Amino acid sequence: MSGHDSKYFSTTKKGEIPELKEELNSQYKDKRKDAVKKVIAAMTVGKDVSSLFTDVVNCMQTENLELKKLVYLYLINYAKSQPDLAILAVNTFVKDSQDPNPLIRALAVRTMGCIRVDKITEYLCDPLQKCLKDDDPYVRKTAAICVAKLFDINAELVEDRGFLEALKDLISDNNPMVVANAVAALAEIQENSTSPIFEINSTTLTKLLTALNECTEWGQVFILDALSRYKAADPREAENIVERVTPRLQHANCAVVLSAVKMILQQMELITSTDVIRNLCKKMAPPLVTLLSAEPEIQYVALRNINLIVQKRPTILAHEIKVFFCKYNDPIYVKMEKLEIMIKLASDRNIDQVLLEFKEYATEVDVDFVRKAVRAIGRCAIKLERAAERCISVLLELIKIKVNYVVQEAIIVIKDIFRRYPNTYESIIATLCESLDTLDEPEAKASMIWIIGEYAERIDNADELLESFLESFPEEPAQVQLQLLTATVKLFLKKPTEGPQEMIQIVLNNATVETDNPDLRDRAYIYWRLLSTDPEAAKDVVLAEKPVITDDSNQLDPSLLDELLANISTLSSVYHKPPEAFVTRLKTTVQKTEDEDFAEGSETGYSSGNPVDSAASPPATTGNIHPAGRQPAPAPAVPAPVPDLLGDLMGLDNAAIVPVDEPTAPSGPPLPVVVNGQGLQISAQLTRRDGQVFYSMLFENNSQVVLDGFMIQFNKNTFGLAAAGPLQIPPLHPGTSARTMLPMVLFQNMSVGPPSSALQVAVKNNQQPVLYFTDKIILHALFGEDGRMERGTFLETWRSLPDSNEVQKEFPGITITSVESTIELLAAFNMFFIAKRKNGSQDVIYLSAKVPRDVPFLIELTAMVGQPGLKCAVKTPSPEIAPFFFEAVELLFKA
Amino acid sequence: MMISQFFVLSQRGDNIVFRDYRAEVPKGSTETFFRKVKFWKEDGNAEAPPIFNVDGVNYFHVKVVGLYFVATTRVNVSPSLVLELLQRIARVIKDYLGVLNEDSFRKNFVLVYELLDEVIDFGYVQTTSTEVLKSYVFNEPIVVAPTRLQPIDPAAIFTQGGKRMPGTAVTKSVVANEPGGRRREEIFVDIIEKISVTFSSSGYILTSEIDGTIQMKSYLSGNPEIRLALNEDLNIGRGGRSVYDYRSSSGSGVILDDCNFHESVRLDSFDSDRTLSLVPPDGEFPVMNYRMTQEFKPPFHVNTLIEEAGRLKAEVIIKIRAEFPPDIVANTITIQMPLPNYTSRASFDLEPGAVGQRTDFKESSKMLEWGLKKIVGGAEHTLRAKLTFSQEFHGNITKEAGPVSMTFTIPMYNVSKLQVKYLQIAKKVSSYNPYRWVRYVTQANSYVARI
Repeated sequence: MSGHDSKYFSTTKKGEIPELKEELNSQYKDKRKDAVKKVIAAMTVGKDVSSLFTDVVNCMQTENLELKKLVYLYLINYAKSQPDLAILAVNTFVKDSQDPNPLIRALAVRTMGCIRVDKITEYLCDPLQKCLKDDDPYVRKTAAICVAKLFDINAELVEDRGFLEALKDLISDNNPMVVANAVAALAEIQENSTSPIFEINSTTLTKLLTALNECTEWGQVFILDALSRYKAADPREAENIVERVTPRLQHANCAVVLSAVKMILQQMELITSTDVIRNLCKKMAPPLVTLLSAEPEIQYVALRNINLIVQKRPTILAHEIKVFFCKYNDPIYVKMEKLEIMIKLASDRNIDQVLLEFKEYATEVDVDFVRKAVRAIGRCAIKLERAAERCISVLLELIKIKVNYVVQEAIIVIKDIFRRYPNTYESIIATLCESLDTLDEPEAKASMIWIIGEYAERIDNADELLESFLESFPEEPAQVQLQLLTATVKLFLKKPTEGPQEMIQIVLNNATVETDNPDLRDRAYIYWRLLSTDPEAAKDVVLAEKPVITDDSNQLDPSLLDELLANISTLSSVYHKPPEAFVTRLKTTVQKTEDEDFAEGSETGYSSGNPVDSAASPPATTGNIHPAGRQPAPAPAVPAPVPDLLGDLMGLDNAAIVPVDEPTAPSGPPLPVVVNGQGLQISAQLTRRDGQVFYSMLFENNSQVVLDGFMIQFNKNTFGLAAAGPLQIPPLHPGTSARTMLPMVLFQNMSVGPPSSALQVAVKNNQQPVLYFTDKIILHALFGEDGRMERGTFLETWRSLPDSNEVQKEFPGITITSVESTIELLAAFNMFFIAKRKNGSQDVIYLSAKVPRDVPFLIELTAMVGQPGLKCAVKTPSPEIAPFFFEAVELLFKA
Repeated sequence: MMISQFFVLSQRGDNIVFRDYRAEVPKGSTETFFRKVKFWKEDGNAEAPPIFNVDGVNYFHVKVVGLYFVATTRVNVSPSLVLELLQRIARVIKDYLGVLNEDSFRKNFVLVYELLDEVIDFGYVQTTSTEVLKSYVFNEPIVVAPTRLQPIDPAAIFTQGGKRMPGTAVTKSVVANEPGGRRREEIFVDIIEKISVTFSSSGYILTSEIDGTIQMKSYLSGNPEIRLALNEDLNIGRGGRSVYDYRSSSGSGVILDDCNFHESVRLDSFDSDRTLSLVPPDGEFPVMNYRMTQEFKPPFHVNTLIEEAGRLKAEVIIKIRAEFPPDIVANTITIQMPLPNYTSRASFDLEPGAVGQRTDFKESSKMLEWGLKKIVGGAEHTLRAKLTFSQEFHGNITKEAGPVSMTFTIPMYNVSKLQVKYLQIAKKVSSYNPYRWVRYVTQANSYVARI
């Protein structure tokens, strides 16, 4: 071929489309081919050439494979937007699928499967059936993938036409490419189906292990990943499988190696012989290390996986720490991961070498990396008791270089070291104090202040040091303010002299009067009360012994670790998150539109839970901190006296806050389950308490992970219901639950259109995708306390409203047992008794109620006591809401 | 286990190739990707990791010759498979086009799409073997001249290429015919060793490592069988000894920590006589990768001295000595050293009569740079730099400067002593005698001297 393809990108002055149209219909083959190339070129740069559909399809009937492929490429792109025209291509497809040339047969089936147009799908079935049994392996392997394509478009069709069986037969095909594709297709179908389709038994296992040896590298990965779901029956079988898989560790393809590692790790769980295990560990180490010689991108994946593997089986790489030393030219993302693993592999034996490295890293250029290196030294100190002293001396050396961010980072980790080894290394405090004025990061400042408060009795000028911060108290970030408050109280309790006394008054005054931060204010009030009622108790509380923190650098939650290890060599192992936390395949369009609706209605925005959590205490800095290792905020951790005090304090405060703190109310009536997804079950109902509407919610975590960061959002609704405050749900550990009463406001985000009792809610957390559900707005939760009416007013209103405003409904299933109990029941929901009368054997009760915005509801109930059947008539200026009222009546009487 | 889309973006974010296999990722993924990669951190300096998730879409990327090769997916795939695949796609396209750059892509987009359709079906990898693809791909490449003129000496071509992995063999397509219509019968076997060494401030070796590859690119017609013999004293595995012990294990033989092989390689006689036999597929591929921590003699010795010279001045002396035979010449040597960040000026003194050397002080990154076109084995070169500071330094200046890092290429030299003893091609006729090129090259990976 002459000339360059790039000429097809050039445009002409004459309209491009008409010119192309002309060329596509040229009588010369070459000209037509060139024209199609130009069309494809235009398509790839995003131009709309769909108007040429018929002309391009006309070029389809050709023996020239090159041209045919181009036309097919075009078809795949535009068939969806031109479904009626796409039908024109069907005949050629069907004809091509019977062509003597296997390449054309395969091409036809491959392309038809990519055209997601229903009408074409119907015509696909017959050719596909034939191609699955084709003589040529290239056609069969293409057909195998085509079954997965068809399943994605129309799963029923695949089952009805018996394609699944045909696919399963291909597992025994004599061509390994065909086997690999059949396995891949079956695995995908299984993943999207609830019924068992692709179960691996010992027969398939044997077949696939045999095919493994002859497959291409990619096919090996498909097969290994499919087999990793297989649970061996006994240790013997597990050993046999491992023996067959181990040679794959020698493969040059990293994906094969990692999939083999995954498979071996899985089977190792079953193997009991320690010799075999030790031997396997030995065999896996060199290939794992070799992955670090690959391109940096692959190294990153390897490192993230190794991070998990060494948590489970530290022995595998215990002697290989050197290979994780950072190279000068490693990309930053590789360096960061290497540091993590170095910390995990650090031991008394190699700590000197490791420290030498960390020290070097701490003087490099990249600030994030330097910080992480400094923290790494601290984490080693916490992890290795015998090396702690050496670690601290390295930190002191680094502090002496006086690079600002190094100093600050060092102080943060030293605070943790003090927590780990109390009363051991306080001699260095003097050195730390020298850097006091250079600190400008909140966390470092807070840490230093914590140290001063904690060891106030050993620092001669502790009062001076703290005093220097007081001037700027109002401007400090919350984190620092909280620490200053606590440190000053500690100082006062330790040295109850005049100076500290003055200081404490300034601080308490500042923290209670001049602040908007409720955390700070609450803590200050608690201290204030404690100090003024019982200073001895205050001492017990504030100066209580703190639990010693531990190193957590090796600790992923064991159940999470196991889940991640089962997902070695998948994205899950790179993100260190279970698959359901990030896999969100959009299966239905319904879900999509709902998603968009919510985006539109998001005027209120997500209200976040635990907004000031991090300010409560200087967070310990050692990575994924274990709750037990968490630094308790000095005061709030006190058990006994707090609740009372809190209640008291709250009384002084804005009453609006009160209900927010109610969430811990232990139990209440059972709530209806509204949604259950990914192990999170939510039960909820609107309720009314003390004149306010709440959304009473119960969260049950049945998943395997800790869920936190809960947020809630309400879609626009008829009454404009929205959350009045943040959703306060503490981190939920697996198997635990939490209840909350979320205060609600009305008329915040009103929907337009006909009224509806639907309340669409979205709940999310940090671990899972957003959960959507629809609840019902129960009207009686909205009835106001002010709904009582004078008899006269009632009658007047009844008369003044036209008859068209009266709505009636019969409830044949409801039986009233007595008039009194009915009145009592309804009164509890703000439906107020007006009058009653007898109408023959029937009792008639009149009641009044009011929904927000002062819309009165006049109610007439007619029933025969003890007999089924209740007639309910309502007269109101807003009869369109009456149906909700009937729903409410039904709910109330059924309960 | 499948990908949704594959695309290639230029450095500026332009769409060069785009293919959607599953229609499940919303429009605009290329823009989303590019924005995320460009602004991973606000300052725009941090490098994005090769895998990340934006709004439920997972993006994978590798950078090859300045182009982004990207795949997206919504499911929990094997990340090593996707990244490896991206590298292989780059390799296959290079096999076909001869040269990999934006220009060659644009000129051959029809061929590239044809290749992609055979490489991936519905997001599943089908094959990445250039050999296999030849039976299904019909477009012929339009060969683009490499940007640099092709020198005549093959070894010289060999020294070009990317920083991480030298672009080996030649810039000619495996399928295109020579202008004369006939293909030259030849085969290239390259032994490429990337070495990493870290010297302590006192000059002893803290860590050293060789990542080696035996790479092959065959232009032989008829796919004859090839036998490749390696050193007979080659040993694999340190027998469970840790890296710490390698000093005591030096002695006889070449000891590899680990190695792996291309799937076409047969190892029947490898254990007995260290020969590999294979029928080389078309295209460039690694026959064998190996890793070694056995002690070796580093090719360069680096000596750095930094001395205070008054309150606001200091002097740096860097001395390098080439520790290889005089008939070997290293080229494209760069030496870099970060200086204290309060350095305001650096003036340089090269040795008298120095040629082919350049020096630079990069103000923004406070980086000292010294480049040498070549260094002959046994030679020693010195650089003196006078530094001026904008403020007084506090205490220990060595803590705020360095380490010194070096990059270089040494053709026809390898540090591991691993050798291809002979390369035997099964003869079709007695007159058949194709060109065989066995070439060695050593490159610096991370070559660092702390000060």
